[in-house]
This record gives sequence, C-alpha cells and structure tokens, in this order.
Amino acid sequence: MPGNILEANNISKTYGGVHALDNVSMCIKAGEIHCLVGENGSGKSTFVKVMSGAITPDNGEITLNGHTYRSLNPIDSIREGVQVIYQDLSLFPHMTVAENISMNKMVALGKKLVNMAEVRKTAEEQLARIGETMDLDCPIDEISMANRQLVAICRALSLDAKLLFMDEPTTALTNIEVDRLLKIVLELKEKGLSVVFISHKLNEVFEVADTITIFRDGRKVGDFNSKELSYHSLIYHMTGRNVEYPRYVRKATDDNIRFEIRGLSRPGHFEDVNVKMRRGDILGITGLKGSGREELALSLFGLNPSKSGQVIINGKTVSIHSPTDAIVSGLSLLPEDRYTQALFPTHSISENISSASLPSITTKAGLLDRKGERQNAINMVAKLHIRTPNVETSVQNLSGGNQQKTVIARWVLTDPEVLILDGPTVGVDIASKVDIYEQIQSFASQGMSIILISDELPELLANCNSVMVMRANKVVGFLSNEELEKPDAADRLQSMMSGGGDDFQPSIPVLEAQA
Amino acid sequence: MKRLKKYINQNEWYLMGIILIYSIIVTTQNSGFFTLENFFDVLKGSSGMIILAMGILVVLLSGGIDLSFTAIAMFGGYSAARLMMATKIDNLAFAFVVSAVIGILLGAVNALIIHKFHLPTMIATLGTSSLFSGIMTTFIGTKTITVGMMPKSLRAFGGFRLFEMVNDAGSTYGLTVFIIPVVIVVVVTWFILYKTMLGRGVIALGNSEEAAKRSGFNLFWIRMFIYTYVGLLAGIMGVIYVAEVNSVYAVALYGTELTYIAAVVIGGAKLTGGEGKILGTLLGVIIVRLLNSTLVFLGLTSSWNGFFTGAVLLFSVGLTSYMSRLRSRRNLTFTD
Repeated sequence: MPGNILEANNISKTYGGVHALDNVSMCIKAGEIHCLVGENGSGKSTFVKVMSGAITPDNGEITLNGHTYRSLNPIDSIREGVQVIYQDLSLFPHMTVAENISMNKMVALGKKLVNMAEVRKTAEEQLARIGETMDLDCPIDEISMANRQLVAICRALSLDAKLLFMDEPTTALTNIEVDRLLKIVLELKEKGLSVVFISHKLNEVFEVADTITIFRDGRKVGDFNSKELSYHSLIYHMTGRNVEYPRYVRKATDDNIRFEIRGLSRPGHFEDVNVKMRRGDILGITGLKGSGREELALSLFGLNPSKSGQVIINGKTVSIHSPTDAIVSGLSLLPEDRYTQALFPTHSISENISSASLPSITTKAGLLDRKGERQNAINMVAKLHIRTPNVETSVQNLSGGNQQKTVIARWVLTDPEVLILDGPTVGVDIASKVDIYEQIQSFASQGMSIILISDELPELLANCNSVMVMRANKVVGFLSNEELEKPDAADRLQSMMSGGGDDFQPSIPVLEAQA
Repeated sequence: MKRLKKYINQNEWYLMGIILIYSIIVTTQNSGFFTLENFFDVLKGSSGMIILAMGILVVLLSGGIDLSFTAIAMFGGYSAARLMMATKIDNLAFAFVVSAVIGILLGAVNALIIHKFHLPTMIATLGTSSLFSGIMTTFIGTKTITVGMMPKSLRAFGGFRLFEMVNDAGSTYGLTVFIIPVVIVVVVTWFILYKTMLGRGVIALGNSEEAAKRSGFNLFWIRMFIYTYVGLLAGIMGVIYVAEVNSVYAVALYGTELTYIAAVVIGGAKLTGGEGKILGTLLGVIIVRLLNSTLVFLGLTSSWNGFFTGAVLLFSVGLTSYMSRLRSRRNLTFTD
C-alpha cells in the first residue's frame, strides 16, 4: 500500500509466558502524527523496541518503505529512517550541543577524524530545520530539559529520519516548553516526517494526533481517528472500564488550625506565603514550573531554607533546617522525581518503605527489628494495593505506579501531621492514579493534612478542598471548596497560573474564606 | 576573553594561581628556586609522570580507572633492562620496543577482562596489578639492577641533554632528552582525544555508556584502545624511569599509582567520567612535582610531600565541587 511508511503485521512477543505483544498489526502513514496510548505494561514500549530492531519479535513481519523484514536489526531500522528518542534522551551530558547533534551521524558515516567545522555545520543545519537557535558550545548539562529534547530531535533528523518515535517527550517540560515542542512536531509533520508520539498526557495526545492507536494488555484495542475519540472514550478503551475520579469531601469536625505558614519568604523563590490548614484538609498548590511551588515544598522539608517567616505546627513554631528536622516535626515530602530523589532502586520494597521510619523499628538494644520491618511493609503493600509478588522484590522491578505507591507508603509510615505530595501521579497510569487518589483521600479522612502539588487540573479538582495558585514566586490566588465545585474552576485556575487576570489578593489566608 | 575561556576553565585558573603563589613564596625564601637549572630539574623529574598522566586522563575520561599502570611500567622497564643485559643487545630502541610491546599486551589483558566480564574497572585492574607484579617477580626476577649493571645505552639516555649550560658554581646543566617523548605523547594524546572519532568515543563512553552504545560506537574496540594505550604509555614510562634512576629495584613504582591518579584528579578530571582536560592534567602534574621536588627550598624535609599533595588535592577538588554544588542548589538539586 503506497503512503505507508511502516506496516507491522501480526507482531507477537512473549516473555516467560506473558504476551508483551499479542498479534499486533499497525500501519503508519507518511507525514502523520500517530499516538500510541495505553497503560504501563500495555505493550507500547515493546512495540517501539521491535520497530527499532532492539528486540526481535517471536512472530510477524515488518515492512518499512516497502522492504519487508522478518527480523529487523537496529542497523536496517536506522537505514530505513527509523529513529527513536527514548525518555532518557541518551545524550552526552558533558559534551557540547553541536557534538551531541552530530555525533551519531559521524559514527554512522564511519568517520575516523573529527572535523569541528563539519560538526558545527551539521548542528546548525538541523537546528535551522526546526527553526531554533542554541549556543552550540554549551555543554548539555547546562541547558534546559526542553532544549535537550530539541537536541535529541536534531540528532535524529541529522540521520535522515523518516519515522520518529518519541517516548514520553514532555514529562519533564513546563507547559510553555510543551507548547513549543508540540509546535515543532506539527511543523515536522508538515515537512513530511512521520512521528509516533507516546504520552500519558492525553490532552497533548488530542492536540497533535492524526491517528490514535490504543494498547491494552499487549493487544491493540484499535486505531482511531483522533476526532472520533473523546477524553472519556479514550480512557475507557485504555482501561477497559469507566474511570471516575472520586471527589474528596472533608469529614473532619476538628476545625482548629493544625498547620500554619506565616509570611514565609525566600526572595527569588517564593514570597510572603501564608497557609492555614486543619485536620483532613487537602490543599492543592499549583502554578507553572518555576512559579515557586516546588521551591516552597523543598523549603518546608528543610532543603532550600527560607529567609523569613514562620512554620507553626499544633501551635508551636518549628525551625526546619534539614529533612530530619522536618520528619521529626511531622512534615514529610514525596519528591517530584521518585527515581532519583526517593527510591533505592536496587533495594527491596520492605527496605524502601521502612527507610524513613528506622527509629520506630529499632529494638531497645539498638538493632533493627527485621520482622517488624517486614510486617510494616506487608501491611502497607496491602493498604496501598502495591502489586508485587512479595515485599522482598527489589523496587526497580515494579511499574511506575507501584514504585510511587511504595514511596507514598514510606511517608505514610512516618505518620506525618502534614504530608506534602509533589506531583504524585507523574508518569503513573490511570488505574494506579485512581488507586493513589483513593489512598490520598482516605489518609486525609483519617486526619492527615495533605499538600498536593500538581499541574494536572483534574487531579486538583478531584482531591483538594482548596487550591492555592502561584505565579512568578508569589501566591496569586486561591479557590475555596465551593469555588472548586463550580464548573468554571478549571478555567479560573488556568488563567491564574498563566496570569490572565482573576488575581486574588494574596494576603487572604487560604481557609478562612471557606470556614 | 571568551576565546580564552573556551580553552582555560575555572579549575585551571585556580591551579595556575596556586603554582604562581607557591613560586613567589619559594622565590622570596630561596633565590635558587627561580632559575633555569631548577626549571630543567623539575621538568626532568616530571617527564615520566606526564606520560603516565596522559594515559590516566584517557582512562578517567572513559569513566574507568586503572590501578595497574605502575605494575605494567615496572614489568616493561625492568624486563627490558634485564633482557638487554641477558642478550647483550645494548640498544635504546630495543628497550623501548620490548617495554612498549609488554605494555600493550598487558593493557589488552585489562581490556579483555573489563569488557568480557563486565567488571568494575577498579576491581579488574586492582587484580591485574597484583597479577602482573606477581608474574614479573616470579618469572623475571627481583634482583636490583645497580648502576654498574645498567646497559650503557639506557644510562646514556638518562643523562643525555639536548643542550647544556654552565651555572655559577661551574657545573653543567641542561634540558633533558626526555622532553622529546613527553611532547610526542602529549600531542598524540591531544590529537586522539580531540581530533579522532576514537577519542570522541572514549569521552562518549565516559559520559554515558548507554548513549555511546546507542550512538553506534563499538565499545569493545574503544576499551581495547583505552587500556592498550595506557599500557603503551606505561611501557614507555618504564624505560624512562629505569634510565632516569639508573639503579632499579624490581617493584620500585608498585604502590605509587594513587599519587599519579591524584595529580590527574587535581588537574580537574572527574572519576565519574567524561570530564577532564590535557591542560589541567599538565598543571596537576606540575603542582605535584613542584611540591615533591622543591619543598627543600623552603627548608622542609621530604616527609612534607604527602602533606602538601593531599592539601592541594583536597583544596582544588573541594573548591570545584563546592562551586558546582552552589550551581545545583540554584537549580534546586540537593543530592550532591
């Protein structure tokens, strides 16, 4: 069939009796943006690896540009113009922008010597193709995540990519950067490139996709024209069921202020933040990346110290200079990047869960109570529905959602007064998301006060009974429980985040308006 | 200034500052320091170290570490000298060829072990270091080669000067011939690292093994190059060492490898790979050698060597680490 750059027929791949891909067929047309969606473990990544030649399927054929391959190897795949940008980007952090863009091409051409003029020329040409300029001599580890993503795209283009796979390219980007990236992807499509886009963020999928292919449990559910699908039907096909996020309702009757932030400032990061929270409150904090929300969370946890202001827990002013201080005072933080900031990937679930509560499982003789540790872990695994064969499994073998639940278990075990969750469902699939929301709400119902930092509006609307918005290091407004229930809540949050008016006076304490 | 910044980084400015300040202090204490004669002496004493440091830089850039190069240098240099004595081939080229071939072979052993068994490079070379040293002392011997036994060509090489001058006291001094192999090694290393894809591959490997593999680099040949190159340089250095000291104890250098690595690390190379430069490495070696050979001008005994080398190491590495920590704090990273 002309017009198809890739045709995959009846691809199957089994790992130890489990079908990672079960008889999947798919076509990708020249010059289209084709999104792959599905839960973690649904087979998207395996499909990408098969198309890149990294793994050989048990069954099936792949036709690229009219050439049929029974078993495709990476070299053939690249020669046919297939390029994959993995989530980790595979860049060289201490090498320059120019070298990162050109390196693969030079290797592919079998060059023996390095001609810096040529390296720079290649880099400039590819950057020009996507209409961007960058300091070619800047090392990669000194440029933003968004620019690194662009470098990876340029590198792929330099190898005459005809079909570009992008695996979760927007995870680490701010909203503005995402828009810029999506615009570039659409422009590349206009120039005839086919792009296969994999994302958990469904709004992005709808924004760019011509065709959406849905995977579930290693099977293809179907190919859909993106106009045929709605947000709800897409989720239905992905999960096989109707998903409703439960809306949190505070039931606690104790209206005393338990946690208070008074005039907390760190110039350049956040200024004059005032918060009051009661038992069972879930306070959302939102804003664009760099608005100060993450800086504030880190400060409450004893990193990134504040310059002025007070933090008061149960009427007592606490001074927090380290994470240890924070934990002792009853504050816990689930960090944004679970893999590098929270997990001990090679250690067991049980050790990961107990790591912040070691004093409580230490015997009088000062030794670790391994039985107690195990029992705690077993309880938490059951409570949070962590899917694992046992608590000895090392955490790196779990899916993203289950890893996140493990980190949540760790902090819940410390029995905090206030639990701060920074992006608790980033990169987590929908089923786990629902699980995590239910757990967050049940902890709040049991009396914990929770601060939920997120830029996903549905997440905030479902879980929070008040939301504070930050922009340019300042609190620019908040919505009370009643306001969050109104249909215009999402639009109002959005416009406050981006600065489109509707600013409240920042000095109004968060919960007084609703009390 | 921007151009200069491209070639000289912050750490290198610090190092130059340290050298300058140290030189000024010593000069004010002892006029014998700031003389051409002393300069030539320091240069001669640094020659072997510079050659090895270039090899160490290559290994560190690749994200590895090599602890076996002193064992290889002694294996090569000592065996070459013994072989010359046994065969009566008193020829300098012969010494270099024998020692270089031994170095390359032993380096290849390192590369094979590291690549095939996926061992951490430190463990692998810690093992081969003892292994090589053991093989040499068992099969080749441990007898000290004294001045009298030393082949003439080696002795001549050790004392040869490219040109000579006479000092106030009437004794002659001059620029050592060692400068020739040193310059060749530095230029060749620079060329490989910056002008060949092989060198870029070494640095790519040190940046990210996974990314290097995905880029299509052949990691086996890159590792083979890295460790045979270090072996080769160790072989060359072995001959220079034997010629320089003139009387060789069989395992003389064995156990000193960390001093060499320290010099390269002072020069700004990171043990985590991918970062390090030739200029910095040269400055690192100069600092270590200056401290080792000129503390006498301050009236300090050689027992102060270790103290000062350690202090400079901690100061320079600590300072750069502190600066990068401040940078990451600004980017809200608190992990390092």
